[in-house]
Amino acid sequence: MSLLLQSLVLGVLLGGLYALLAAGLTLYFGVMRVVMIAHSAFLILAAYLAWWFSTETGLDPLLSLVLTVPLFFGMGVFMQRVLISRLRPATLTMMSVLLTFSIALVIEGMLGFAFSGTQRRIRLDYGGANFEVFGANVAVVKLIAFALAAVSLAALFLLMKKTQFGQALRATIQHPEAARLIGINTDRVAGYGFGLGLATAAVGGTALALDSTFYPSLHWHWIGPLMAIIVVGGLGSIPGAAIAAMVLGMGQSLLQIPLGTTWAQTFFYIALFATLMVRPQGFFGGRLAQRF
Amino acid sequence: MKVKTPYRVAGLAMASCMALTACMSSGSDSGSAEDGDGPIKIGISLPLTGDFSEPGKGVQRGYEAWADYVNENGGLLGRDVELTILDDQSNADRVAADYEKLINQDGVDLVFGPFSTRLVVPAAQVAQDYGFLFVEPAGAAEEVFTQGFDNLFYAAPAVADDHYNYLADAIEALPEDQRPKTAAYAAMDDPFAMGTAYGLKDRLEEMGVETVVDEVYPPNTTDFGSIAAKIADSEADVVVGGTQYQDAVNMIVALQQLDYQPKMAAFSTAPTNPEFPEAIGSKTEGILSPTGYTPEADFPTNQEFVDYYTEKNGTPPAEDEANAWTTGQVVAAAVEAVECASPDPECQSQLIDWLRENEVDTVVGPLTWDAEGRPEGAHLIQQYVDGEIRIVLPEEAKEADLIIEKPAW
Amino acid sequence: MPSASDTTTVTSAATGDTTRRRGSMLLKAVALAVLAAGVLSFPSVAANPFILSVGVVIMSYAVLATSWNFVGGFTGYISLGHAAYSGLGGYATGLLVIHTGINPWLAMVLAGLVVAALAVPIGIASLRVRGASFVIVSIALVLILLLVFQSWGSFTGGSNGLRVPRPFGPEVLRPEQHERFFYLHALLLGVALLVWWLIDRSRFGTGLKAIREDEDKAQALGVPTFTYKLIAFVVSAFFTALGGGLYALWFGFLDPIFQFSILVGSYMVLMSLLGGIRSLFGPFLGAVIVGYAVEYFKNQYGDSQFHLVAMGLLLGLVVLFMPDGIIPAATNLVERFRPQKTSIREVSAADLAEQRRTAGPEAGQADQQARTDDGTDIPSTDTPTDTSVTEGARR
Repeated sequence: MSLLLQSLVLGVLLGGLYALLAAGLTLYFGVMRVVMIAHSAFLILAAYLAWWFSTETGLDPLLSLVLTVPLFFGMGVFMQRVLISRLRPATLTMMSVLLTFSIALVIEGMLGFAFSGTQRRIRLDYGGANFEVFGANVAVVKLIAFALAAVSLAALFLLMKKTQFGQALRATIQHPEAARLIGINTDRVAGYGFGLGLATAAVGGTALALDSTFYPSLHWHWIGPLMAIIVVGGLGSIPGAAIAAMVLGMGQSLLQIPLGTTWAQTFFYIALFATLMVRPQGFFGGRLAQRF
Repeated sequence: MKVKTPYRVAGLAMASCMALTACMSSGSDSGSAEDGDGPIKIGISLPLTGDFSEPGKGVQRGYEAWADYVNENGGLLGRDVELTILDDQSNADRVAADYEKLINQDGVDLVFGPFSTRLVVPAAQVAQDYGFLFVEPAGAAEEVFTQGFDNLFYAAPAVADDHYNYLADAIEALPEDQRPKTAAYAAMDDPFAMGTAYGLKDRLEEMGVETVVDEVYPPNTTDFGSIAAKIADSEADVVVGGTQYQDAVNMIVALQQLDYQPKMAAFSTAPTNPEFPEAIGSKTEGILSPTGYTPEADFPTNQEFVDYYTEKNGTPPAEDEANAWTTGQVVAAAVEAVECASPDPECQSQLIDWLRENEVDTVVGPLTWDAEGRPEGAHLIQQYVDGEIRIVLPEEAKEADLIIEKPAW
Repeated sequence: MPSASDTTTVTSAATGDTTRRRGSMLLKAVALAVLAAGVLSFPSVAANPFILSVGVVIMSYAVLATSWNFVGGFTGYISLGHAAYSGLGGYATGLLVIHTGINPWLAMVLAGLVVAALAVPIGIASLRVRGASFVIVSIALVLILLLVFQSWGSFTGGSNGLRVPRPFGPEVLRPEQHERFFYLHALLLGVALLVWWLIDRSRFGTGLKAIREDEDKAQALGVPTFTYKLIAFVVSAFFTALGGGLYALWFGFLDPIFQFSILVGSYMVLMSLLGGIRSLFGPFLGAVIVGYAVEYFKNQYGDSQFHLVAMGLLLGLVVLFMPDGIIPAATNLVERFRPQKTSIREVSAADLAEQRRTAGPEAGQADQQARTDDGTDIPSTDTPTDTSVTEGARR
């Protein structure tokens, strides 16, 4: 029983991180119809930056967020305005996949070049610290990572719902032509949307770096589950992605008890195939998903 | 326009083929023909980038130190040795192409093996096809020796499955009521790492230690929360990790996060790494590990190796460096004995035959091999005692007493 | 080859002239013969077995890239995960040989058929929805197969890898093996190219290309888009599996990490794109260039991760600046110096949109308009009307 509870707790903590990252992927898809393969490469880049920051300065890796979040936001805007927008509209979806794929390769190669292929881990004094809740142990670092993800996701949600920019962003996602007609500068909004998406990778990467090792080619390991999550959730729907992330994260964690680590990982892909067979638009997706 | 282009392309493709041939053939077969004088060229492919790059670089340092040492001491058969080291990017396809290149294009006289089981098998295949002797410094898994290679020798004391033999013997020697009752195993899905853990598992099961957890995880696993949860939940007396490096660190931290305290903890490879104590926050006391090498060993040539290596690199050699040096020693012994070093199949088969029948003194002790190239020795067992790595088993080599009951971490 | 290009200039300018057409046919035949002779003579020109083995690898890439191009080139659906089919083909071949002991060549063809059968449900799942999901499934498939083949050790050899027995006996020395496999790969490439060419000329091929240019319109015009896509996909998987199987028989060792690698799949994409996915010989040309570049980078920058950066940059540059590949780019260059253009040309929707947005008086605004409109899947041919409407509305 305690194992079940323990796995549930671990699943929730992991699902939070998945949800944040999937929200980023959903944003790119929403504003530009771009499947951003490089998302997880940026995630690893952020983890490396957090590690590098903390080894160089000796400060807590969480502080690196002050630098990486604006940096990644800027890079996102740059990517959208300079690279993605150059692509021919007729082939945008396919070519953007290749373009972001090549960006992922470049990031992986550069990380390997700069930091070598060795696995890295930030050593924290509170790395092994834990406390007990109803017989389940909760690691402090995992809780911090979860809190970081939850706060960011909440902030993103508020931004989308309550601010004028959020309204413009949602309008751009829902109907770009109409958004343009009512005077929204959709190009600029799309750029900011991209920046916001990449900022989630910065937060996610830092959270990841707190309690895990990372190496340059780790991003392949992340992109599969994330892709599965956004398809299951319905391409383009942020709440859908968040719910799917939680469900799949917990599912994976629980399935590890009977199936073992390796086979539990296939859960994501089985969910992906099942979704496409049964309900290709995803379980929470809107109008967008049907067309893609 | 639709007519012409493909054929222009055809021409271009053909021209590229020709250019390819021309470029690649330049500089080939230089210096391979003449025998007897000029340096002995030794070809090696190592994973200098990619997944295995860290141990790969260790092996490279060992090989280079060995070559320098030989050259400073009169060479081999009176000739200098010259290493050609290629990078296989930890990729099996590349490693085969590399040996193909070394043997055919660079015209090397001898080849040394690469790192890791995954790369040894395809490389050994190429060497065998060209009749080359293949002594390898890493590739301890049983699978390497069951492929029917007749040219392969592993230059270390024992294959993976036998790494924990001394520990198993020691546990068996305990009185019945003091032996552990239950054990949990978690191994990386890697021939070497699984070999070590399952070697010990077989022995422990034989003596009645119940297996309560048996987990295999993919090499790319970074989240050990769930595995640790299972192990902690089982409350096993012994935890055995078939690990490489980072996975051991992650697993130990995850176990600590769940406040699990085993009576005995054994992990392969990682604890022999100098950075290990720092990585897990110095909570190392009592952790066991098999090791094929210790700088303190009093084998005849070891002291010289340690001194030479330390002077050259500033730090004492670790296991990877020692295995590379051992490879050099083994091949050198064969070369000196049959007095030839050339790609000629006749010479190579003499080298192979000599190693089958003879014992070689190395820095890891005297080595002999069975018909498949398995070394017939055993690994030492090390333990963290008072924060220091100490050899605790076997009796005759021990530097400290084995701590049976591991302190809390 | 100045003379060759001179004659082609003349022949291609001719429209409807029978004699000249016959001349062009003859020229085609001659050029094809020269290409074939060039490829087939490679083993005898190769200086040593290593170069020959590089040749085999490049031919293998050419087979895989050409196979990829059945789906990528005809339908425009870009699969990043074709390594799944080559890996499956390799494993199926190896496992059939090991467990049933049948003739290795028969095993290879059977493996191709098995993979083609597997591709049907995968195709159904991934082709039902447009673009993005297809790419996601293609990547997911490689990752899932990697997991399965690594974990299912008792059947696949797991992470220890699988040794595939040799099709030729021990009396065939390694250099001789390389030579035979070079010809075998060349043969398979020839077959794949022939099938591609036949499809290209067929009604089926026209339907596929219609899907590539505008799937909605193709559907509206009565093209059974889903069936067509599925058939192209299965044919592609079949040839990719054959390529994988042949490689497995040559290389003799399969490791799941390298068989089910996203990088291998992306090489196929890069090669095809670089050469030109609309051209018969595009993927072949791309394979020669990339295969050679890989060797070159390895020689030059062996000790670093630089090959990844180089590959990433190359792919990015091709996507941004030369999405149609070398062959069309070179053709356009030649066209520009040509006195008159041929009357009928194959023009893609993208080309049209491009022309229109550079030609129109309000080029800048039209440009923006076209991009965003197309992003939401409104057919690009509607762009001009759309623009005028919005322009009007703005005023």
